[in-house]
Amino acid sequence: MHDQLAKYAARLIADRAARPDGIAFAAQDDLLITEGNPELARLAGDTLSCLSALSLVAARPSLPFADFLVQRAETGESCIVPRDTETRTFLHDIPFLRRDEPGMDTGGRIARHLGNRKGVVVEGVGIVASGSVTVEQAYINYSSVFHATFVKYLEVLLREGFRLPGEREAFAAFRRDWLRPLTAEGLVFRQGALSEPGEILAEMEAVGRYTVERGLVDSFFGNISCRSGEVIYISQTAASLNELAGCIDPVPTDNSNTCGITASSELLAHRRIYEASGARVILHGHPKFSVVMSMLCAEANCPVSDCWRECPKVRFLGDTPVVAGEIGAGGLAKRVPPVIAGPGRAVVYGHGVFTIGADFGEAFRAMVEVENWCRAEYFRRLDDGPGLAAKVVTEIRRAPAD
Amino acid sequence: MNGWTGKILKVDLTSGRAWREDIPTELLHAYLGGRGLGVRLLRDHYRLDPFDPAMPLVFAVGPLCGTTAPTAARLTVVSRSPLTSTIYDCSAGGRFAWRLKGAGVDALHVSGESPRPVVLVVNGESAELIPADSLWGKTIHETVAALAGKGSVAAIGPAGENGVLFANIMMGEGNSVGRGGLGAVMGKKRLKAVVVEGERPVEIADRQRFDHARQDVMRLFRASPVIFGELGIAEYGTPALVDLMRQRRMAPTENFRKTVFADSGNYAGPALRRDFQARKDGCYGCPIQCKKSTPQGEHLPEYETVSHFGALNGISSLSAIVRANTLCNELGLDTISAAATISAWGEARGRFPDAAEVATLLTDIAWRRGDGLLLSLGSRRAAAELGRPELSMSVKALELPAYDPRGAYGMALAYCTSNRGGCHLRAYPISHEILRKPVPTDRFSFSGKARIIKIAEDSNAAVDSLVACKFSFFGATLEEYAELLSATTRVEYTPQTLKEIGERICLTERFYNCGNGFTAAEDRLPERFHAEPGSSGEGIDIPPIDRARFNEELAKYYRIRGLTPEGTFADADFLEKQP
Repeated sequence: MHDQLAKYAARLIADRAARPDGIAFAAQDDLLITEGNPELARLAGDTLSCLSALSLVAARPSLPFADFLVQRAETGESCIVPRDTETRTFLHDIPFLRRDEPGMDTGGRIARHLGNRKGVVVEGVGIVASGSVTVEQAYINYSSVFHATFVKYLEVLLREGFRLPGEREAFAAFRRDWLRPLTAEGLVFRQGALSEPGEILAEMEAVGRYTVERGLVDSFFGNISCRSGEVIYISQTAASLNELAGCIDPVPTDNSNTCGITASSELLAHRRIYEASGARVILHGHPKFSVVMSMLCAEANCPVSDCWRECPKVRFLGDTPVVAGEIGAGGLAKRVPPVIAGPGRAVVYGHGVFTIGADFGEAFRAMVEVENWCRAEYFRRLDDGPGLAAKVVTEIRRAPAD
Repeated sequence: MNGWTGKILKVDLTSGRAWREDIPTELLHAYLGGRGLGVRLLRDHYRLDPFDPAMPLVFAVGPLCGTTAPTAARLTVVSRSPLTSTIYDCSAGGRFAWRLKGAGVDALHVSGESPRPVVLVVNGESAELIPADSLWGKTIHETVAALAGKGSVAAIGPAGENGVLFANIMMGEGNSVGRGGLGAVMGKKRLKAVVVEGERPVEIADRQRFDHARQDVMRLFRASPVIFGELGIAEYGTPALVDLMRQRRMAPTENFRKTVFADSGNYAGPALRRDFQARKDGCYGCPIQCKKSTPQGEHLPEYETVSHFGALNGISSLSAIVRANTLCNELGLDTISAAATISAWGEARGRFPDAAEVATLLTDIAWRRGDGLLLSLGSRRAAAELGRPELSMSVKALELPAYDPRGAYGMALAYCTSNRGGCHLRAYPISHEILRKPVPTDRFSFSGKARIIKIAEDSNAAVDSLVACKFSFFGATLEEYAELLSATTRVEYTPQTLKEIGERICLTERFYNCGNGFTAAEDRLPERFHAEPGSSGEGIDIPPIDRARFNEELAKYYRIRGLTPEGTFADADFLEKQP
């Protein structure tokens, strides 16, 4: 199990989701083992020993956004409630512990929260997440909390502006030091239609790696497919985009066999997109600024309360359409196909970006463009001030989507 | 009290008396219902022979039954298995559970032995035994039809009446309380059927919280490719797994001599849909509807059944497999054990049965005549009688289902640690080793599996006590179900506390088994899996399971469970320390 702990500690560093000197893992088989930052390792071990789980990570995030959310929370609040679809679906909410909260020992308090949720924010310490089945699961849950608090904080900041001491400076450092330019430059893509299975698998594996390495997505947030004749090659559910070898299902378009039961939950969406667009490849990810921007809406007196599922409108981020729809059978497969063929890209409310192309180069560049546009637009609105940010909204051009 | 009724209906078949008692609230909170409550209620009886008149047969619902919690209209039947001699439970869905709760009880406790065949009729507060001489010998369909209008039915067929060791109790809507032969326990009591009618509603303590949790569950169902994916079980039923098991080269074939059956596509999900116009069907109130039926209402076989009547016996005719499934349902036979016993017998005699012969054998098993007399004992006893004990592909005498353990090492371990014998559902590692839920694990590695299996056993014991369907957990988790439970009962539960309850249940079951002589010696796979390879090919190697590594992981499991190296309890007072 030591190799697993080392692997996922390295992944957190590569993802830039945690500070390299602030990562600890604990895992228990018949024995409890801990590795990493000694102080956090102690905490991780103490916490895991109170839980019926296999693994746990305690790490200091590379950004202070989670702590800022805790500090902004009103007295009496005890959890962060993210609005992005991924978190809403799989984590629901994220409990937090304040720095000065009295009570039992820290490990015991964290365990109490992790007995009910997959991850917890501990102010001044970091994010602690558990995995009931694998070490990888603890890593995924940590990444999910990191993603959720990132998106949530950016949303809150746009709405409320800077409020905390040191917040403006920390955010400036984030813009200056943490963010990197998003680009497809220097990447090698196979051009044109792919037909040989070996060639398709190799290209999908490479492009999956690119999306993570270039910072478009965190590794578990997305899926990828390629159509060749009457077969759709698609990444499997719970597959890591940067480790797709052996994790791609060939699914016949006529459903003549059901091996694709392990395919991504978005198989149906991919199938419908192919039918509607004639594309050869599809890329789907959850780039953070696109997720944040997709949820900005100033529709007045709107009767829709479940925007994730029920919004019938097509809004636009630049020239990219935004539609509602939840994961899998939650409506996304119905709303994305009608809008994606023309622009070759679409954003799903609170969820992420779909791009298509004749080859992966085209799809990848489209996703970079969408995220770069959203990033630039986000900062433009933020720099204009919170009042304006709330008023200047994504344009509604036509409705309904279907 | 919300969620629970706090009442148990006790029926003594020997005297014909029926009465209600209170169940201590402490026990309900500590064991929930279903499997947990049933196991607890057997504390004073677990050493009895399964056919002893005093051995109880407990039908227990859970605190979520009667609510709109997804997949929770279920009950568990608990007793001691005549097939495995272990404590035994099995859950089933359908209106029966809902109506039992509606009759105002959390459990029905049947003991004694009637001097003549009877039907127990529960209608609201009343309970009476009516003569059933005219129903004795009737099939399930005939029995259910005869009792129409009286309520929901749980009945036995000729197999249960005649003491077949793998006889089922069948629900009127086609669900089965399967595997361990509880139908034979019911038959020995001469209880042909139980009919229940009841409409008392279940009060939910916090409706808003409940609705929110329910929405969370449904969102996760929709996000799950296994549940609502276009190739998932809602569309194709569990036969959606046929193609996958073929591709993974772990479909038990010819009594587990091979792991690939060339003709498996004949009975895969798409074939069932095409050839039998399979339509959605399923348990009462369940949004998944994973069972499949013909337009005429004939229930179509599940994955285990198509694979075991198919590959395990070398039969490629789908119509023959459907016929075998229907026969088992009518006669009240467990399909997995029936098919696996016939397969072991086929290997012993040097020839697997053809399709026509299977139908005859099933009828003879149910009536315990001809070759059926031997086969009615299950594969372990039958193979031993034939002088070929090694041909029984079972653990603790329970025939293994259609996941070859050489293709999933967690499954190999879980077959052995299961308290009811070779069952895939106790820890259900297929979920992560094959279906990638909640996250994938390496199916050819034992690393971490002891802990994973222990946690999954505990979690599933809690699920079986809620009672919810395990298929829910291809999407949802204990987080959402703990919310549903807390909202329903106003008692705060978390995934962690549910797992602790599950651990108590698992250890109690194991303690009972140890009290009846079970030790590590029974936690063993058939020798074939350590000695013979599966069908390697297409870049997938299926070697025999390394015995030393298996034993090492099993020893870890015992340590994690706090057991002795022999798999037993160091603390003889364990039970007394439990609620």
